[in-house]
Amino acid sequence: LSAEHSGALAHHFDTLEQQHNAATLGLWAFLLTEVMLFGAVLTCYAIYGAAYPAEFAEASRHLSVVLGGVNTAVLLGSSLSMALAVRAAQLGQRRATVYFLLLTLVLGTAFLGIKMSEYYAEYREHLIPALNFSADHEGRAEKWASAGLNAAHVQLFFVFYFVLTGLHAVHMLIGMGLLAVLAARTRAGRYSAEYYTPIELGGLYWHFVDIVWIFLFPLLYLISRHGGGG
Amino acid sequence: MHKHVESLRNYFLVFAALLALTATTVGVSYLRLGALHAPAALLIASLKAALVILFFMHVLHGSRLVWLVIVAAVLFLGIMLVLFFSDYASRGWLPETTPAKQLRTTDIR
Repeated sequence: LSAEHSGALAHHFDTLEQQHNAATLGLWAFLLTEVMLFGAVLTCYAIYGAAYPAEFAEASRHLSVVLGGVNTAVLLGSSLSMALAVRAAQLGQRRATVYFLLLTLVLGTAFLGIKMSEYYAEYREHLIPALNFSADHEGRAEKWASAGLNAAHVQLFFVFYFVLTGLHAVHMLIGMGLLAVLAARTRAGRYSAEYYTPIELGGLYWHFVDIVWIFLFPLLYLISRHGGGG
Repeated sequence: MHKHVESLRNYFLVFAALLALTATTVGVSYLRLGALHAPAALLIASLKAALVILFFMHVLHGSRLVWLVIVAAVLFLGIMLVLFFSDYASRGWLPETTPAKQLRTTDIR
């Protein structure tokens, strides 16, 4: 009840529990719109992937499964750390909450660092559409032509790759900003075992961004590892 | 306030399962499964997403209203996928020449 007197309870709610449930439901409704945003781009990707399977397979083989796989593990680790931060907040363990929020932030930064190193490798291989994509790099034009591959369709894969991973990276940056604010406010004693709703909501958002990557990794990196197209 | 605090053991078990499923999806992608690749990858990704949603996002012990939102998300995603793919998959089934014949997923090249 102390939190209700300290101003955490907005005047249009009766109890902190009612406020917590309303806020959680609201964030889930927001996540539903995010599902449709990523879902629409992934649907386009699937349709063009079905239209140009050989080119999309060839393009996907230019991505590093090792870096993508390590990044998946890093992001799953950040989700575990976030879950532990929310758990510590539920139990009113302020120092542990700050520690796990900062650990989540560090793992998120590591993910983006690895992602940037991948982008740099793709820049050096002239694979970035609208910036430096080139079919004629290290003799691949002849290779693609002899395999009957259309370079424009290979480039289309990279359009989807950069839109999807870029949109995901923007969500990561927003999530990392939220984590920094939550860590600072937790340290300042703004939350308690009775009132930790913002940390719970930050956790929901972070886990959602993790789920997006759970789908992006196999769909972008793993579609063609067995050899031929399709 | 009613709240369910998950045990540390469960959180680490979920994390271990997520890592194991990631290794599985990489391994499966190197097998020769033909047309089953995409369904296998989507099945494993859905399992991972379900684990994150049920445990990390507290839905297992959460409000039923949240379940309703998740069902709505899956339903609308399903409507979008079914309508798009029934359109593109069935182009060219009718004999007459229409603008729709210009983009077919099967013989576009």
